[in-house]
Amino acid sequence: MHPTLPSSSGPASASGPVPASGLILGIESSCDETAAAVVRRGAEVLSNVVASQVRTHAPYGGVVPELASREHLQNIVPVVRTALEQAGCSLEDLDAIAVTEGPGLAGALLVGVMYAKGLAFALNKPLIAVNHLEGHIHAVLLEAKKQQQTLAQPTLALVVSGGHTHLYLAEETQATWRYKNIGRTVDDAAGEAFDKVAKLLGLGYPGGPWIDWLAQHGDPRAVPFGPITVKQKPYRAPQQQSPRFLFSFSGLKTAALRYVQTHAMAQTIAARHQTLAEIADAKPADALALCNTETLNLIASFQRAVVEDLARKTFAAAETFHSASIVVSGGVAANRELRQHLLAEGRRRSLPVIFPSLELSTDNAAMIAAAAWPKFVAGDVATAALTAEPSLSLG
Amino acid sequence: MSEAIPMDDKVRVFTTHSAEETIEAGRELAKFLDPPKVVLLRGDLGAGKTTLVKGIAAALGAAEPDEVTSPTFTLIHEYAGRSVEHAKLGETILLYHLDLYRIENQRQLDTLGMEELMTPQSVLLIEWGEKFPSVVERSDGEIVIETLHGDERRIALALHPPKTSG
Repeated sequence: MHPTLPSSSGPASASGPVPASGLILGIESSCDETAAAVVRRGAEVLSNVVASQVRTHAPYGGVVPELASREHLQNIVPVVRTALEQAGCSLEDLDAIAVTEGPGLAGALLVGVMYAKGLAFALNKPLIAVNHLEGHIHAVLLEAKKQQQTLAQPTLALVVSGGHTHLYLAEETQATWRYKNIGRTVDDAAGEAFDKVAKLLGLGYPGGPWIDWLAQHGDPRAVPFGPITVKQKPYRAPQQQSPRFLFSFSGLKTAALRYVQTHAMAQTIAARHQTLAEIADAKPADALALCNTETLNLIASFQRAVVEDLARKTFAAAETFHSASIVVSGGVAANRELRQHLLAEGRRRSLPVIFPSLELSTDNAAMIAAAAWPKFVAGDVATAALTAEPSLSLG
Repeated sequence: MSEAIPMDDKVRVFTTHSAEETIEAGRELAKFLDPPKVVLLRGDLGAGKTTLVKGIAAALGAAEPDEVTSPTFTLIHEYAGRSVEHAKLGETILLYHLDLYRIENQRQLDTLGMEELMTPQSVLLIEWGEKFPSVVERSDGEIVIETLHGDERRIALALHPPKTSG
């Protein structure tokens, strides 16, 4: 059986296995979500399932973090089955199985890796290992393909979530993607800063949506946070001093804490926390009446400082590395102010800026299946020795 | 940074006035963290827990300070370094920085695989470990960071006397 090479929607290669259906099953279990998806030729999402959506009996409202590997173990079979069902295909129809090998939590990653290995072995199909961070970049490429946009290269990728804040220069040469890490946080990830400031103010978890919603009711210039500068460390050898765009959100978090302390806000925060705890499935809108102007201004100013910092360094990196487009991914990509700010600045500079849809910006398996496609075409398959790589880096 | 007179031979106290000094205190503290060790790392939001780990990791040659980031979301960060102690000079040390803030119950903790990290070469620094009696029980001591005023921090390392076997 020698079908033709992938259609025009996918990259072609003279080498590597010849795809039959173009279908790749992606599996992701690096942290909180157990996820599976079927994607055709790295472009067409046939299904994209995360466990938190499948489960009907969540112990309490919202997403329950699946921190423990046992949760992944319970979820992986139903999640994969649902992904195949929704895609209308069987295991035999697949061309390959793709799985996140890292970075992430060892026990959680192992569940996905072992399951994918077993599946690939039983089906005698290729196994493809994908870096979670590479997956986030491909989430946006997937979105661009969906909107039939061609992405000018090289592209600068801002991956920004609860666990990551990274800048990568990404480029496709001969159907292979190459990445160079040019920026990262030196302490907290941006999403973590949102979570911690939300907690500090007695708001819900995860903090991003709360801060984002409440920020629109405050004055973003009321508290003069920022700009955030990170000193290049003198212990770095000169060749390592080459442009690095370093983020730091720990200081901003502490500044917010100090503001709360010096403005004697503890009592109103405790009251707010108490009131919200008594509301079943509390939403950010429920908190509005519980926040005075001072609190709303603090929230708006904090978010403005984070967004301005991400934007400033991202565009500086784009300029330094002459990138032709910017892609933004990870949970914080859902932040409305970040979207507006980056899109507006991109228009001003005639630099296309692309965000994924919400379901593609948070952890998902469609991005893993999409990132696996060029590897599959290039014959870049994993061996049976594949294992979880908790500290895996990219570029 | 100033090191106060130890209250006894098991407690060491540092007072620092900046993030840089807290990193320096971490470098000093690393000398007392010979593996295997499980140490609780306590301090309020913004106290400088990650900053202190930067110094400890740097002293062990495990990571540059700006490579050590918060494990709040990612839960476990691993750094491989070498002992700087004379007796064990050059021996591998695996430094684990954990944050149990997001771990809600013992069942989640059980499947986190912490036991597997506790090897003879390991030093575990655990934030929010005090939430779990099982972790407190396993610990060899604690590092407590207190915010005094402004940027001033009091950092105290207290190690329990070695447990007698049997």
